[in-house]
Amino acid sequence: MAEEGINRAGHRSGFAILIVFVLLAVFLVISPFTFENPALEPIHVPAWCTDISPIRQPDMAPEYPVGVFTFRCNDCHKIIPPPANDRIREVVQHREIELKHGINTWCLSCHHSKNRDAFVDDRGGEISWSQPQLLCARCHGPVYRDWQHGAHGRSNGYWDRSLGDQSRLKCIHCHDPHEPPFPPMPPAPGPNTLRMDSKVDRIPHGGRNPLQLDHDEPTD
Amino acid sequence: MHDFQEEASDSNRSMKSATGDGAGSECSRRGFVVQAAAALAGASALAAALAPLRHFASDDIPTIDEFLQKHYKEMTREDKERVFARIHDAVQKRYGVAPKLLDPPPMDGVEFVYGLNLSRCIGCRKCVHACVQENNLSRSPEIQYIRVLEMEKGSINLETANHHYDPPQVPNPEKYYMPVQCHQCADPPCVKVCPVEATWQEPDGITVIDYDWCIGCRYCEAACPYWARRFNFTEPVLPDGELQPNMAYLSNRPRPKGVMEKCTFCLHRTRVGRLPACVEVCPTGSRKFGNVLDPESEVAYILKHKRIYILKEDVGTIPRFFYYFDERGSRYHEPIAPYTPESDA
Repeated sequence: MAEEGINRAGHRSGFAILIVFVLLAVFLVISPFTFENPALEPIHVPAWCTDISPIRQPDMAPEYPVGVFTFRCNDCHKIIPPPANDRIREVVQHREIELKHGINTWCLSCHHSKNRDAFVDDRGGEISWSQPQLLCARCHGPVYRDWQHGAHGRSNGYWDRSLGDQSRLKCIHCHDPHEPPFPPMPPAPGPNTLRMDSKVDRIPHGGRNPLQLDHDEPTD
Repeated sequence: MHDFQEEASDSNRSMKSATGDGAGSECSRRGFVVQAAAALAGASALAAALAPLRHFASDDIPTIDEFLQKHYKEMTREDKERVFARIHDAVQKRYGVAPKLLDPPPMDGVEFVYGLNLSRCIGCRKCVHACVQENNLSRSPEIQYIRVLEMEKGSINLETANHHYDPPQVPNPEKYYMPVQCHQCADPPCVKVCPVEATWQEPDGITVIDYDWCIGCRYCEAACPYWARRFNFTEPVLPDGELQPNMAYLSNRPRPKGVMEKCTFCLHRTRVGRLPACVEVCPTGSRKFGNVLDPESEVAYILKHKRIYILKEDVGTIPRFFYYFDERGSRYHEPIAPYTPESDA
């Protein structure tokens, strides 16, 4: 009698396990939850993000556009006498230029007082408008040295000059001579990985950026 | 021991009754139901296990040619021609663009080295997207070779770095920026761990992958101290018309699903003398690239004259990627008060 009881109980539990397995298998085959691709939609990358042109396109000539006309600097400055002393005064022309360049306080730190189509060197001589780096080198020696060797400034084209041309930019292709720090710009889109964005709720790490330590409050 | 014997004899008895002599028909019916249920469960489990096959596309099954394709280094010229022709056709069929598939060899007397000026980088991420476009990286799921880290000033501490920064304007004067990508190590751990030799270092210093030989085990991803290797969880997804047709077998040809990929210093460009895409796009000129064996090159000058920082130098992988600094650093955040006669007094 006892034997039979054991048998029956064994069959019953075995049967229950089988039922569970069958149900599980049916569930897996039907798979009521459709597969949802966790990959996010591709982000839009604006065209400027891959644009290789320099941030400035300066005229390498002493020209000043006024409306439809373009004047050489000397067209006017041959007639207008240079200021007699170095007293700082308000400019009456070229008021769009705001000089924010280190300790320079007036135009004639860089522009030649007699020949406005040129820059001035340390001895009062002339530096051609097409060679602005020689003017910059008067103060920025280490940067000029690095630029000469290619460690500062942009290069484009070929690293191997025997196979193709390499373009080297001059100082004013990146730096505004009247306000030289490289201007801030909006950043290109950041990484759009799974732990960002609206799907943040159903991802690991509790939606927290694991790269951000707890003491770093995320900023908006 | 005694218990075990008792159990064994117990099961012996139950087996006897299941086959059903004395106790009769009731037990054998139950036995039949149980066995049938077991068989059904087994069959359903098999079906369930095979269920993912429903998502199999015909492209997932390799052709005989693909299956028998040799390792890149073992291919003869004829093998390569045949394989390249097949890849050409596959790319054209999938993307509707006829690719220019090349296989530029390493140049003699050239070892590539990369320099990155930490004093000048402003964290604009243009390099990231130029790289994505040039190398036909998947846009969804997103794969990017370059990771730009926003760093706390005062140390080079990766623990406090953040690459999800998104202010309206960069640079943030409180931070500095450190882009990280493949360092093309001279002693690459990723190559050592590859169980199938699908990745190796070329004579010009570039570590490459034969995407058709890679088994996708991701050991190299785990071995890399610079987080420079990426895995294709799916077939790379590119927007229509954005396939960049100049490609090389070992660099930017479209990757299959389930393989690793990594930065190759744009070898399809650099092995024909051109600069990599990330160097060309950098608005600040922070990125420098060249042949370190040429003493006249920019990178040779940088290594000789500038202050150099090697990321994770202590792990001993001997990177070919060098961070460097300028004397006074970038001064974008330090306005200099204009000179006034009063300040002299």
